[in-house]
Amino acid sequence: MIEKTIGIFFDGISAIPQEIELIFDKEKSVFLFETINGNQYCWKFEAVTCDIKSNQMYLQHGSDPIQNIKISDIDFVNNMNHFRKKKGSLNWYQKLMDMGIKAHILFTVFIFAIIGVGYFYAIPWVAEKAVVIIPEDYDSNLGTAFFEQNMLFRDIDTDKTKTLNLFAEELNLKNTKKLKFTVVDSPIVNAFALPDGNIIVFSGILKSMKSYDELVGLIGHEVAHVNHRHSMKMLCRNLSGYLFVSAILGDANGVMATIGDNVNSLQSLSFSRKFEHEADMEGFEILSLNKVNPKGMSNLFERLQSEDVISIPEFLSSHPVTSERITYINGLIKMKPFYFKENSKLKRLKRLFLEIKN
Amino acid sequence: MEETLQASTNYKLEFNGKGNDFFSVIIVNWLLTILTLGIYYPWAKARKLQFLYGETSLNGDSFSFHGTGKEMFKGFVKALLIITVLYSVFFLFIYLKTPFLGIAILYLGILAILPFAIHGSYRYRMSRTSWRGIRFGYRGDRNEFTLSFFKWLFFTIISFGIYGSWMSINMRNYLLGNIRFGDVEFNSEGDGGDYFLLNLKGYFLTVFTLGIYGFWWQKELFEYYINNLSLNKGKEEIALNSTVTGGGFFKLAIVNILIIIGTLGIGYAWVVTRTMKYIFDNIELEGNIDLNLLTQTEENYKDATGEDISDFLDMDFVM
Repeated sequence: MIEKTIGIFFDGISAIPQEIELIFDKEKSVFLFETINGNQYCWKFEAVTCDIKSNQMYLQHGSDPIQNIKISDIDFVNNMNHFRKKKGSLNWYQKLMDMGIKAHILFTVFIFAIIGVGYFYAIPWVAEKAVVIIPEDYDSNLGTAFFEQNMLFRDIDTDKTKTLNLFAEELNLKNTKKLKFTVVDSPIVNAFALPDGNIIVFSGILKSMKSYDELVGLIGHEVAHVNHRHSMKMLCRNLSGYLFVSAILGDANGVMATIGDNVNSLQSLSFSRKFEHEADMEGFEILSLNKVNPKGMSNLFERLQSEDVISIPEFLSSHPVTSERITYINGLIKMKPFYFKENSKLKRLKRLFLEIKN
Repeated sequence: MEETLQASTNYKLEFNGKGNDFFSVIIVNWLLTILTLGIYYPWAKARKLQFLYGETSLNGDSFSFHGTGKEMFKGFVKALLIITVLYSVFFLFIYLKTPFLGIAILYLGILAILPFAIHGSYRYRMSRTSWRGIRFGYRGDRNEFTLSFFKWLFFTIISFGIYGSWMSINMRNYLLGNIRFGDVEFNSEGDGGDYFLLNLKGYFLTVFTLGIYGFWWQKELFEYYINNLSLNKGKEEIALNSTVTGGGFFKLAIVNILIIIGTLGIGYAWVVTRTMKYIFDNIELEGNIDLNLLTQTEENYKDATGEDISDFLDMDFVM
């Protein structure tokens, strides 16, 4: 079987196009042709690479010099492709490329699925586990640095700080780190925990409380953040999420990178929800452990949600939907019926609470 | 002889790539890169360049990129080693509680390898590119370029960045001026002063027009780059001429953004092919060099280390 066509030969020495009659011998698997000045060539099929470039087929032979034959004859090109397929000389890459647009769209879906699974499940999981490797010292340094920078211009209420620390000492908080409470004189209705065990409470949130058990609930919640190293976990998750997104989109442009960034911050929002839930659960346990009425926790949320708080409670804006939390805490209270009776510890807590509040 | 000098020849530069085909290239690259946890990256890059070069043609004949994944993988490993050493030194100084010294060394180190990376990537890229089997080549001298690079950098620093315009144009002139296309020489004749004024004007007008002039600024820059470029062979010459317009760039950018947003990024392939097509459709070649008479003069060069370092540092290749 012999195929014939007209091709343009470039000898790799000059750029002169030389028209040739190309003969392909299927049985012997060789290309045969003769140039106008009488040079005869015989190329083995195995030594030739076939490429479709700019809608034409190029047969390339050798690397120094590189010789080329350009073929525009569609029938010959199709025959060649057929022959290559039959010979099994199409490599796996060409097979992948030849699967067509439908398969490639399927690949896209598959890639997106892998990215999705990686981003929403694998990366956060690995990042959270990786926190174990990071020494606790690092949490402490980070928290201390933040504390020093932020407390410089804050109005610290020394008396209330002392009393709040006494209040916390009365409680069993299951803490592994030394805790240090600070009351900042400010109408802001918020409190937050730093990874080194520093817990900052604004007087605004203290003023809005009616009972000591609410304060225990708040402390329990914040301490849980410290105990579970939530800050470091968030940091690791955000950082790895960011690295993942930028690695995937490294090739794409600014618009995509911006979309990616926003997706990443949305993701960290739901991460924090999970952590807040965890903190509520442990806060609840701490209340029970200290024989304090767990209703304090849901009361606190209800109070923050109700209208008698004048300034917008920041505690709510940075935390998950409150009504949801009230519902699940009340659910817990029903599930684990709880009885408590007055004792000397509770009396001390009440006294200290009144001192802090005023 | 006199007559052949006068005779003007027709040239046609085209980009024929279809978005669908490029999409397939990109998706298969992504798939393989993800499945191999990134190891496939150099091969993916080779495939991508092979496609883009192959779909570009001059007078109906395609360019070819002969670089292989294997070459770029070797370069990738070397580049990785160099970068790793730099970062190890950086972290060593952090560990020794002298972070500023560490940062200084890291930056100086990256700066020091920059000219080598640029030189290496030009040599590699050019040597692996061919048209009708005739290789391109880069004939710049590494030591000369490195020396000039630091001289320009020094002037840029002491002039608080003003010399930056001259630096980028001088660098461009040097790099492009040392490119050979067989026995045809490239020539770039930009001037730092003109470039500076062009950018100054572009910057202020863009600010005053709330960004709209940006497209015309881009058009002028493109025009400046292209119109200053020419090919020479003895007394024969091919001049390059840009026909891009600000409106054209505007339309290109708007549609590209819509495609990217509308397809959540999947349309990236079409954005690239549209852009390439627009650019190549708007470069005119005019002159009297007979391209049939090009001869092979450039040698093979297969070390992709510079190419890969440039890739690490996220530098764009000019040509």
